[in-house]
Amino acid sequence: MTGLLLNWRRRLRLRRLGDCPLRDYLATPFPRPGLDYRDARYVAVDLETTGLDARRDQILSIGWVLVDGNRIRLGSARHRLLRVAGAIPADSAVIHQITDDEAARGLELSAALPELLADLAGRVLIAHHARVELGFLGRACKRLWGKGLLVRAIDTQAVARRLLERRQIPFKASDLRLHALCERYNLPRHGAHNALSDALSAAELFLAQAAHRDSGRGMALGDFL
Amino acid sequence: MDVELIEIREFLANHAPFDQLPDAELDLLPKRLTVRYLRRGSAFPPSDDAEPCLYILHRGAVELRDGDGGLISKLAEGDLCPSPCGKDDTDMAALSGQTAEDTLVYLLPCAELERLRAEHPAFAEHFDDSMSHRLRKALDAIKTDTAGTALMTVQVGELLSRPLVQASPDISIQQAAGIMSEARVSSLVITEQGRLVGMITDRDLRNRCLAAGLPPTEPVRAIMTERLHTVHDDTLGFEALITMSRLNVHHLPVLDEQGVRGVVSTSDLVRVQSANAVYLVGDIHKADSVETLAAISGKLGELQIQLVHSGATASQIGQAITAVTDAITLRLLELAEEELGAPPVPYCWMAGGSQARREQSSHSDQDNALLIADHLSPEDDAYFRMLAQRVNDGLNACGYIYCPGDVMARNDKWRQPLKIWTKYFNTWIKRPEPMALMLSSVFFDLRPIYDPEGLFGELSERIRTLSKKETIYIAYMAANALKHRPPLGFFRNFVLIRGGEHDHTFDIKHRGIVPIVDLARVYALSAGLQETNTLERLRAAGAAKALSADGAANLVDAHEFIGTLRMRHQAEQLRRGEKADNFLSPDDLSPLERGHLKDAFALINTIQESLGQRYQAGRFA
Repeated sequence: MTGLLLNWRRRLRLRRLGDCPLRDYLATPFPRPGLDYRDARYVAVDLETTGLDARRDQILSIGWVLVDGNRIRLGSARHRLLRVAGAIPADSAVIHQITDDEAARGLELSAALPELLADLAGRVLIAHHARVELGFLGRACKRLWGKGLLVRAIDTQAVARRLLERRQIPFKASDLRLHALCERYNLPRHGAHNALSDALSAAELFLAQAAHRDSGRGMALGDFL
Repeated sequence: MDVELIEIREFLANHAPFDQLPDAELDLLPKRLTVRYLRRGSAFPPSDDAEPCLYILHRGAVELRDGDGGLISKLAEGDLCPSPCGKDDTDMAALSGQTAEDTLVYLLPCAELERLRAEHPAFAEHFDDSMSHRLRKALDAIKTDTAGTALMTVQVGELLSRPLVQASPDISIQQAAGIMSEARVSSLVITEQGRLVGMITDRDLRNRCLAAGLPPTEPVRAIMTERLHTVHDDTLGFEALITMSRLNVHHLPVLDEQGVRGVVSTSDLVRVQSANAVYLVGDIHKADSVETLAAISGKLGELQIQLVHSGATASQIGQAITAVTDAITLRLLELAEEELGAPPVPYCWMAGGSQARREQSSHSDQDNALLIADHLSPEDDAYFRMLAQRVNDGLNACGYIYCPGDVMARNDKWRQPLKIWTKYFNTWIKRPEPMALMLSSVFFDLRPIYDPEGLFGELSERIRTLSKKETIYIAYMAANALKHRPPLGFFRNFVLIRGGEHDHTFDIKHRGIVPIVDLARVYALSAGLQETNTLERLRAAGAAKALSADGAANLVDAHEFIGTLRMRHQAEQLRRGEKADNFLSPDDLSPLERGHLKDAFALINTIQESLGQRYQAGRFA
């Protein structure tokens, strides 16, 4: 989607929404695709969920960290556990190490999501395999405020795939996993399956991908979208 | 409490100086950081950071160069960039850096660093301390880590609690007994004008006076032991005990620079600890066959493990193991003489290499030679050939494998009279050729193991006179000592052995220990010192001003630290039932140990540089 079109849709939706956190979020323009990526600002996000189906499954936790240009601001890192309706399926509890008790102490989605949206205003979302994050967050917005989430997003997995394809390097699906790519770029392995750790890994992966593509003269944000 | 950024907190907690911060401060620290990713080949520190920052490397590598492009330092995981945060030892303005690998760094604003330094003195010390200071602290930590086998670490001087009880040789035996009984001591030191002339013990009163029917009015001179073995106040407890067990005595006078300081007794030592090396040596003296000796030497690995676990340092372990090797060598010589009869002329059994330096670990090979009195006749060599063959075979059976370079007494070339040895050294010193230099690590570390007629003193004197005179030779030795350089940092791509059996390791012996041993040898030879042990050589060289006192102390610490890491590595392998080797993986070291090891390497490098300049070693390389 071109920059103009997305910002036009943003304004349109702004007019149709009543006073709500989603409207506040949309009040700030999206970064233009022509902007040098080093001048743009980002939020790297990761969700842990009870499954992969945004219509049926629920969000267990959200982790995010702000990236300004080519710097990750660790002070902005946030990790929110959410309250979940019903029991957490045992297999997903094993993966995420989040138990029913913990989830019962968690926040309501309606409390956590506005916090994320406030940070996301005017920023580009970064996620690895972003479809999951966009699907769940869009669904949540729709449920809470009646409209889905409009956002400019960089999918670090898509960036990696395009890079491998362009260089005609053969790869397996597992090569595109977050931790496999982190290893390729000499990045530290943070604890897997924690939303904040994975958000941080995605942020680092983006910096690495950008550093390797940037010949020193900068690049347009649009090249990563 | 939320465990946000726990991995970054742990990373910091595992690296100096952040390990010095209290938990509450560590919990907050990750949030004060910014992360950057610098591609390989980027300028470092990056020029586009608005505020001055301390850089903490989490992944990757950085090379720092001086104005002339010379490599000053390499930074790796956990290292701090010599900070641009002002007033620190390294002047970053003159340095330029580049990332040698893709690098992930954490940035801590200088203002934040200043606050931490102001509030946490232990943290601040890291920035105020010199490298050598940090290394010394790490070494102290190793030594106090474990309550440990005191006997391995205690010096006999520390065991002398009561004041010296002494008397003149002219008092009567009865008076002497009275003094002993009043002072409740079992031995009495006899001095004349402050000089040690003899000693009597309870046993002497019984055997030489009462049992012999000597009147107690006789002067004590009549029953005192005159030719005394003595120890120094800095002799280690176990060494003293080994000496006692070998000589079958229970008391040894202890000397210091001023003269006799006191007497140490077996019970003093046994009270400290019943030690194991001592028992091994006791068993060795009783062994009557090579098989028994081999069984005893089989326990050396166990001894090394025990010593490491009790917190002994490399030099203490080296001393203990070498003491056992010396005892085995002596016993093999005794057994050979029993079989072959008395030698036709006097000889001296010499050890070279690590045995001579008293720096063996449990799996050293053998280097030895035979020095024979000049008046031997041609047919006498048959005796010595058989003697050497027996001892070399015996040592091999005991696990000291044959020297790969055949530097052993059974080799005709290394079984020669004094005049030929003198000729050898004359040639090596006057015409230092590569072959001679190769042998230097064996023959310029030489120690008599068995020398009843004192043949070695003559040879050693000639060597020292020669080598002190020949400066060209010292220059060659210096160039040779610079062949093994320590690594400047740890990098997968720089230092580590790649592929094969020792993949992803580095050779701690050749990269860390040999450089110091070689340096110590050069300084010892240039100053004409008698010492063979590396630490003793360094201390003596420092005292003789052949090397700065600081330089000597730093090398001593570096040698102890690196050597101790090596001993621990080997003990760990032995414990697992593997063969001990020198190939260490950086992954087996804690980040703190890696940091200290880097400091140690940097200290060695500094001394090598100054030696290189002094002898313009490049000309002889």
